[in-house]
Amino acid sequence: MEPPVLDLKHVRKVYKGKVEALQGIALQVPPGSVFGLLGPNGAGKSTLVKILTTIIRATECEGEMLGQPIGHKPSLQKVGYLPEHARFPDYLTGRQVVEYSAGMAGFTVRQASSRVEALLELVGMRDWAQRKVRTYSKGMKQRVGIAQALVNDPKLLFLDEPTDGVDPEGRREIREIVKRMREEGCTVFINTHLLSELEQVADRVAILAKGALVREGDLEELTKSKEEYEIVLASPLSDELVYKLETLSAVVANGHILFKGGDPKQLQPVIDFLRHHEVVIQSIQRNRLSLEELFLEVVEQSRNEEPT
Amino acid sequence: MIAIITLLLDSYRLLKARALFWITLGISGLVGLLYLSIGFNEGGMSLFFGLVSFEHELFRKGSEWAELLYIGIFTKFIVPLWITWIAIILGLISTASIFPDFMSEGSIELSLSKPVSRLKIFLTKYLGSLLFMLIQVGLFTVLVFFALKLRMGTWNPSVLWMVPLSLLVFSYLYAVVVLVTVITKSTLAGILFALLIWFGSFIMNAVEGNLYAAAYTQSQGGDAEMQENLKPWYRASVALYTVLPKTKQTIEFGDRLITVGGQKGFSTEDFTAALLGAEADREDLEGIDDAVRRNSGFYVIGTSLIFEGVLLSLAGWLFCRRDF
Repeated sequence: MEPPVLDLKHVRKVYKGKVEALQGIALQVPPGSVFGLLGPNGAGKSTLVKILTTIIRATECEGEMLGQPIGHKPSLQKVGYLPEHARFPDYLTGRQVVEYSAGMAGFTVRQASSRVEALLELVGMRDWAQRKVRTYSKGMKQRVGIAQALVNDPKLLFLDEPTDGVDPEGRREIREIVKRMREEGCTVFINTHLLSELEQVADRVAILAKGALVREGDLEELTKSKEEYEIVLASPLSDELVYKLETLSAVVANGHILFKGGDPKQLQPVIDFLRHHEVVIQSIQRNRLSLEELFLEVVEQSRNEEPT
Repeated sequence: MIAIITLLLDSYRLLKARALFWITLGISGLVGLLYLSIGFNEGGMSLFFGLVSFEHELFRKGSEWAELLYIGIFTKFIVPLWITWIAIILGLISTASIFPDFMSEGSIELSLSKPVSRLKIFLTKYLGSLLFMLIQVGLFTVLVFFALKLRMGTWNPSVLWMVPLSLLVFSYLYAVVVLVTVITKSTLAGILFALLIWFGSFIMNAVEGNLYAAAYTQSQGGDAEMQENLKPWYRASVALYTVLPKTKQTIEFGDRLITVGGQKGFSTEDFTAALLGAEADREDLEGIDDAVRRNSGFYVIGTSLIFEGVLLSLAGWLFCRRDF
């Protein structure tokens, strides 16, 4: 098994004024995966990414990134980063922004030229590449930002709110780029508020709240924990049938029957029971907790656990 | 190395995008053209490419006074007024926002997240900002260099010393801007502090220079006691002046390096005497060159570079330690 691309054992950051932005984060990101870091505003998501990219100095830091200690500058040659609210110098053209990023990563313009072209094409900015950044819309700047983050062919890519200000078509394209990067073996670490976007691409997620990691795991596993079947009936049930159904671990409410768990075998006795009593079933639907519901539930839980 | 070239190229692109860069370059070209328009003929000298001419006994084609005047116009008028006064102010205004803009949220991350040390980024960014002055003064001085050949008939590469000297003066003041802007992220504060230090240096230079003249070079009506009394004050002024950058004296150091009539050293005494002509009283002018050269080059440039080094070290340390 390949070692994790990111293996954090303890990352803590205390800002001046004793504000504890990160309370000893520990997490692992497997290679070739899309990892989503979620959290409400001020949870410490951007602080964590900035520590990993050496923009902020951690108060305490134990862990490795790409097999090197956190803060090891040369390893950043294989890291791409799109910061939140990225601001590119307005005197540069889109192409120059990407070339600047390549140069800072140690590639000459000649070495990077074919990749710069390919990336500008990939993000749909080739026709605008010669124009100054000041003439770009927010979505166009974000596309250029993604191109500059990819120019060094990164093994680990950090995207902080990548779809911020991007139209629906652009968001879909960014999702496709993320999927493509994963297929090419790149690990993508995404900070985002747009949970529905993340749900479509993420393999693993972690949820931060007030600087602490409150949930982490495989997206499939996390959302599966609240799986249920919903059976919609054509007519209301008698009290007797409701009572009997409840003995089968089903919950009846507003003409709907809810059956906890995602195993279809366990649902069969309920269906048999209904058919036996000639109850007309309108539909059966398998419900799973959305990432947004999971997020809200976890954040709410963490709030309730706060000492009063 | 590639990262350094990338940062320098970025600085050049930034300067090119500034309107003030082109305005300053345009004025430099105009001043250079005016300088070039000064000519000498058999009877005297002419201005504006011969549009205005007048006869003069000393300043004639082929006379050594003509060369002294022509170089003197450059070193005593154009350099102090244009290059080390107006061009530096325009340069400070043009470049003061470089560090605040670079350190703004969303911008600094693009550079700091790369495999380049913060110190290298800081120093390259600083050097890149000096490009403004290098390009302005470099092009202007090269123009003067060709003008000297055209008007005097000889190549005088010693005038090119004004490029590193002007750059040094700008770098002292820009170090103030960098330190203040790294701390406050305020462009205005950076410019104000630089002007304050510049003004302080100007005042202290005047105080120290006058005390030197009074204590060591003037008779003060034969009052030797008064001169003795002034010496401690002079030493105190030197102590105060030592910690400041020597902007005026750095430029004046060029007088010692410039060649006139094949001899090293530009004499302010001779130049003033030539300008005053028959009215000049050489006795009154005696001591001017000594006063100008009262401090060694090591003291003038060395202590100024120490000032710059201290400020840059502090700014660099803050830049490297800071969370962005």
